[in-house]
Amino acid sequence: MEKQKGNTIRLGIFVTLGVLFLIIGIYFIGQKQRLFSNVFKISGVFKNVSGLQVGNNVRFTGINVGTVEDIEIINDTSVRVDMVIEEKIHRFIKKDAKATIGSEGLMGNKTINITHGTSKQKQIEEDGFIATGQPVETDEILAKLKTTADNAATITDGLAAVMQNVSQGKGTIGKLFMDTTMAETLDQTITNLKRGTKGFEDNMDAAKNSFLLRGGMKRAKKNKEK
Amino acid sequence: MGTDKNQTSKEEKKSSVSHIIEIPLVGSLKNFFTEVALITQFIGRYFKESLKPPYEFKEFFRQSYFIGYKSLGLVAITGFIMGLVLTIQARPTMAEFGAEAWVPGMVAVSIVREIGPVITALICAGKIGSGIGAELGSMNVTEQIDAMEVSGINPFKYLVVTRVMATTFMIPILVIFSDVISLYGSYIGVNISDKVSFSLFFAKVFESLDFIDLIPAFIKTFFFGFIIGIIGCYKGYNSKKGTEGVGQAANSAVVIASLMVFVIDMIAVQITTLFM
Repeated sequence: MEKQKGNTIRLGIFVTLGVLFLIIGIYFIGQKQRLFSNVFKISGVFKNVSGLQVGNNVRFTGINVGTVEDIEIINDTSVRVDMVIEEKIHRFIKKDAKATIGSEGLMGNKTINITHGTSKQKQIEEDGFIATGQPVETDEILAKLKTTADNAATITDGLAAVMQNVSQGKGTIGKLFMDTTMAETLDQTITNLKRGTKGFEDNMDAAKNSFLLRGGMKRAKKNKEK
Repeated sequence: MGTDKNQTSKEEKKSSVSHIIEIPLVGSLKNFFTEVALITQFIGRYFKESLKPPYEFKEFFRQSYFIGYKSLGLVAITGFIMGLVLTIQARPTMAEFGAEAWVPGMVAVSIVREIGPVITALICAGKIGSGIGAELGSMNVTEQIDAMEVSGINPFKYLVVTRVMATTFMIPILVIFSDVISLYGSYIGVNISDKVSFSLFFAKVFESLDFIDLIPAFIKTFFFGFIIGIIGCYKGYNSKKGTEGVGQAANSAVVIASLMVFVIDMIAVQITTLFM
């Protein structure tokens, strides 16, 4: 009898713990979907939602503050996206805030990113509409990448031709790098220049010591000392 | 004399034809359909008896204790190893894509949706299904079931209804424990090569889980429990006389229950996909 009572208590603890774990799991998943917190609803109209799905996150300043509640096609060019956002964030989202569709990473889920509005503006109304920006499409990025790659190819082709000319000693730079005669001439020019400067310096020394210019030199020295 | 010979040869031909038809395909198909019909009848009787008072609560709690609480250790060890191994195995591949941060989410979805319920159900089919099959089988062989009937106790209500009810309600709880312990194993697995805090790990886990992962997986565990109990009871209750019959009952209970777990799982996945 005593043993049976003990077994019943153990069974009770076992079942209670199991149910408790289930409730904790449901609570945390529900919390993620803002089932147990105060929320407000806003909507945005997009031309293209780029694969956004119900349940995707809504971010404000990079923090998850809500989820996408519903996506509905209004007409052939617009899609309405309803979002539920935590009430405590409401005062930060101004009337001129803007919602854009982004991505959590290259392989990640789509998200709605809400940008700051101006602080002087009033907060957005409940069930109101938020301004939207067009999402950057992957196809668009790829198309731009292709143009950049094409341009890069043209530039590198030109560079290759220039380098080839340089290595063959064609043109001024090519001659400068590859032509030894030019280097020798340049070397000779510099030697000549050095020699010329030395000669000029000697002439100037001689002029300083000349009796014709000595008085003038002394005056200039005194003026400098004053 | 000649006519007798003709008749015998005709009969021989006839019997050989029927022999060819019966073995092996038709015979086994016949057995299969008979078995399906008998199990369906057994399930029908279970629902009829389970709704009619008096209810054997005491025996139900006793069975729940043996089926649920006594299987917790086995389920916990398996669950822990499952989570740990899955994480260790998945991490290098995820690391190749630079997606180590996704390991907790991926493991959580795999465990909660599929691995937790199915592996736990298979282990329970092995432990509980065979146990019920052997227990009821030996009771049948030793004519204890007949004795109960004679003494005015409804053996079906006392033996079958209580056991099936216990497996139906205890397997889901065992699966919850298995999921939780698996996730803890996964947390240890992640921390072998990286350093992730407990709160961050579980934040990542719940970030990737949704009700569509948890609820259908939880509902299907009731069906797993029911099928393990009902097949174990059916095989034991209808076992052949003799010690061989007990072994056969235990063996076929495990085999059929395990197979049915996969069949139910496949159906559950198809139904869940419709709502996704």
